[in-house]
Amino acid sequence: MERKDEARFPDSSSKSDQASGDQSWVLSSLEHDQLVRAKKHFIPRRHLKGPELAVLWGLRIYLLFMMAVVIYQVWTAAR
Amino acid sequence: MSVGSQPPQTNRIADEVVVITHEDVDRAHDRVRVSAARAQRGFFSGARLLWLLVGPGVLVMLGENDGPSMLSYAATGAKFGIGFFIPFVALTFCMAIVVQEMTVRLGAATHRGHAELIFDRFGPFWGWFSMIDLAIGNFLTLITEFIAIRAGLGFFGVPPWMAILIALVILYAALMSHRYWTWERITLAAAAFNLVFIPVALMTHPNWHDVGRAFVTWQPLPGFNKDTLLIVLADIGATVTPWMLFFQQSATVDKGLTTKDIRFGRIDTVLGAALATAAAVATILATAPLFAHQMTADNFQAAEFAQALQPIIGRFGASLFALGMVEAGIVASITISTSSAYAFGEVTHKPHSLNLPMGQGKSFYSVLTLCAVAAAAIVLIPGLPLVYVVLLVNVVAVLAMPPALVFLFMLVNDKEIMGDLVSPLWANVLSSGVVFLLTAAGVLFGISVIAPNIFAVLGGK
Repeated sequence: MERKDEARFPDSSSKSDQASGDQSWVLSSLEHDQLVRAKKHFIPRRHLKGPELAVLWGLRIYLLFMMAVVIYQVWTAAR
Repeated sequence: MSVGSQPPQTNRIADEVVVITHEDVDRAHDRVRVSAARAQRGFFSGARLLWLLVGPGVLVMLGENDGPSMLSYAATGAKFGIGFFIPFVALTFCMAIVVQEMTVRLGAATHRGHAELIFDRFGPFWGWFSMIDLAIGNFLTLITEFIAIRAGLGFFGVPPWMAILIALVILYAALMSHRYWTWERITLAAAAFNLVFIPVALMTHPNWHDVGRAFVTWQPLPGFNKDTLLIVLADIGATVTPWMLFFQQSATVDKGLTTKDIRFGRIDTVLGAALATAAAVATILATAPLFAHQMTADNFQAAEFAQALQPIIGRFGASLFALGMVEAGIVASITISTSSAYAFGEVTHKPHSLNLPMGQGKSFYSVLTLCAVAAAAIVLIPGLPLVYVVLLVNVVAVLAMPPALVFLFMLVNDKEIMGDLVSPLWANVLSSGVVFLLTAAGVLFGISVIAPNIFAVLGGK
């Protein structure tokens, strides 16, 4: 996903030379994956194993139960 | 160096085009100062490094000392006096340190927010669930913060609409810098007022022998009945709330902390917990005279506590107490609305940083402002069932906490993203115990809210 504000300078312009100094200063100060650009890459989905899947299913069941509880709570309060 | 609103710049590293944004430049500026401080030796350089790196931990802990929390501490002091709950509150903050430290490591190691990591690693269902659940919980909590602000300023005769306006102006003023560093320092300055409860406590001339004995022996114990159990469960369950996890991790990333800074991130968290404990214990001590004078505090609101204390500590002390309530609400409203905006940006992959100029961070600032303004407006609705809102906050927090804690635990042990920074065995034993305790207490409290007679078997009131 590209952001609209990310216009690019032509490499050969004089503006680019000055900008280049700023760029290297910024690049040397930040870790590569700290750059906004790097954060646009999704981290790969985790491959879940048996116990982890069981935990997530447990969470789903818990959520269904708690959703029902919240709906009941709202319903009784509304009455 | 600041580039103002000049357009982003590009560079090539290896084969990849790197686009430098305003946000990158601001963050790099902060990192240069950190690097300069780190390069020097000596006490003052160390102190400067600490000054540069503290922030998220102190803010999250003092932010958790929000309006409802301070009201709860005040009610605890008035109901139980000096005793068991003083060391107990300190213990809950120790548990909070264990949990929040994990968010520091996650943020520093991955440079991603909590919502973003859940979305990417566990899929859109859990990503969106976390974000929406957080947004609902935060919104309801924000309403309670503005209630505290309104009540606190009401002590000085400020009309509700003006109280809300003052809070919104402060929130907006902090944002106006469009700079994480400035926002953080303004909010830290506001959060420092949380310590105003300490002079208030001193004005009540507490019996320090009793205070010391309470810390050592946890005595006197409150009578064991349903009410006491519910307060214990509520306090444990409220030790860590979902926004705290999301906020500290996102703020760690926005501040630009790296793996080299984790030690200072831990110090920041411990420092925040120590300050928050001092303020919480001071609040209990401040209202303990109400217990000694056999004054019932069952129906006290924020301003009423200040009024009740006025005969004991005078108008000035009571005013400080009311101001403390206002501060608690303002700082929490700033941090909580910011955590909502961070989470929204992380899940939707829209720009999300306090370093963004308004033009580039429209969605971020819009979500932040919308949350705060809508919650503030609701507080001004006459006849709003505020007690029901507070009840819903508890239930929604209970709904959100187990998934948030489980994902935190799984992420911090995810070797693919954490590398060598995964938790060691001893830390996992400790954190899993704390996570289990927090989850169980939260769920039990949630059930008690929904079914108030569930603990009637204990024979209490």
